[in-house]
Amino acid sequence: MESVEARGPQLAFPRRPWTGSSGAGGSSGSPGSTGQTQRTTIVGAALRCIARHGISKTTVDDVAGEAGVSRATIYRVFPGGKDAVLAAVSDTEMARLFSAIGVEMGEAEDLTEVLVAGIAGSSRFLEEHQAIGYLLAYEPEVVLRRLAFDACDELLAVATGFVAPYLARWMSMEEARRIAEWGVRIVLSYLVDPAPGIRLSDPVAARHVVETFVLPGVRALRVADPDAPIDLTVAFGPRGGPGAGGRGGTSGAAGTPNGEHRPEQRQKGSL
Amino acid sequence: MRARVLEAAYSCVARWGLAKTTVEDTARCAGVSRATVYRYFPGGRDELIQQVIAWEFTQFFGRLYEEVRDAASLEEVMERGIMLARESLVHHEVFQRVVQTDPDVLLPKITVESSRIRGVIAAFLVPYIRRHGIADGVDEAEAADFLARMVLSYIASPGRWDLTDRTEVRELVRTELLPGIVVGPEPPADEA
Repeated sequence: MESVEARGPQLAFPRRPWTGSSGAGGSSGSPGSTGQTQRTTIVGAALRCIARHGISKTTVDDVAGEAGVSRATIYRVFPGGKDAVLAAVSDTEMARLFSAIGVEMGEAEDLTEVLVAGIAGSSRFLEEHQAIGYLLAYEPEVVLRRLAFDACDELLAVATGFVAPYLARWMSMEEARRIAEWGVRIVLSYLVDPAPGIRLSDPVAARHVVETFVLPGVRALRVADPDAPIDLTVAFGPRGGPGAGGRGGTSGAAGTPNGEHRPEQRQKGSL
Repeated sequence: MRARVLEAAYSCVARWGLAKTTVEDTARCAGVSRATVYRYFPGGRDELIQQVIAWEFTQFFGRLYEEVRDAASLEEVMERGIMLARESLVHHEVFQRVVQTDPDVLLPKITVESSRIRGVIAAFLVPYIRRHGIADGVDEAEAADFLARMVLSYIASPGRWDLTDRTEVRELVRTELLPGIVVGPEPPADEA
């Protein structure tokens, strides 16, 4: 195994010099672009096409035109054609959503804030997402195929796996998974079946839902299992203190900073 | 007559699936003319299918309502309702087949219906919430709506929960569905 540094510069080098010729006119498909940037260009172009015309009407030719590459280039980067491009778009957008809320959740100072950041952030992303907006309005089946019944179970598992570590700073990983799944359900419910006057993208509305319904549930969890390794005064108060666990992604119960915080016992009454 | 047409349409769907059911099939099966079908469903096939789903939804939740309306407490109504609804959904042969064969037709229409049924579930739960005692400062309509949303979410996609296990369902109701909505523990059920 070479070191990472040794491989970095090579990646920036065109692996196949001839790929540039098919990228005439494309901003990122200029000569010298790698397979990876072409991939990114194509995925971005496909997303814009979907936002304008939906999925069923978008063709490989449309995407090629939008990306400024040839049909052949698309099939070379995505041998599976349209379906493969669509799958890549879906993966990319999921990753963008996760990274968008990951930053805010990672910076949150207490459990309320991390829940509000996750719910408001993902709702905002989804509400402002032009392609999802178009699809919900004109091709709802495309979105619902991912969000309904058994498919939703899969989505819940993926999203829960991403969100739970951020919550595990304040509770055990097992509890974090439960609360994470609950939060994802809330976001999906209001996305698919909006309530008049409630927009969870508004942090005030998200905070209201979190404080009214979710936090009492977390407290009930604590009552259900008083031996679980969580300190309520820490869980709901500002995290404070240095080294209280950096960004999310810590490994769960063992990584929670409860031990360090328990002696402080401050912020009483924040429950 | 409307019910007869809907029943006929439902049996067509059960036999041939959603995408292949036409106004003609339905008329033949109901023993009426095409014109009669259009008189009740001027929107034609699309409206007919939406109404069949609405009709079956209503039947489904009607049966559910009969099963849980004698429940003594809010917790019991939630536990029994969720378990029964999930079990009925899993064993609903027509639904299970159609969701595989014609998801693109079914899912948008079922989403419209589920939005309507959410209001029905919320309205059904309000008296139970009131009887139990709503938590301080919580809006009754908002709480009932939130509860109905979550109930529908768990019934459709249980996620990490095993909704065939009464203990788990009780845990779900006690820790995720009711806290925040009602005050403390259930008062003793003095009158049934």
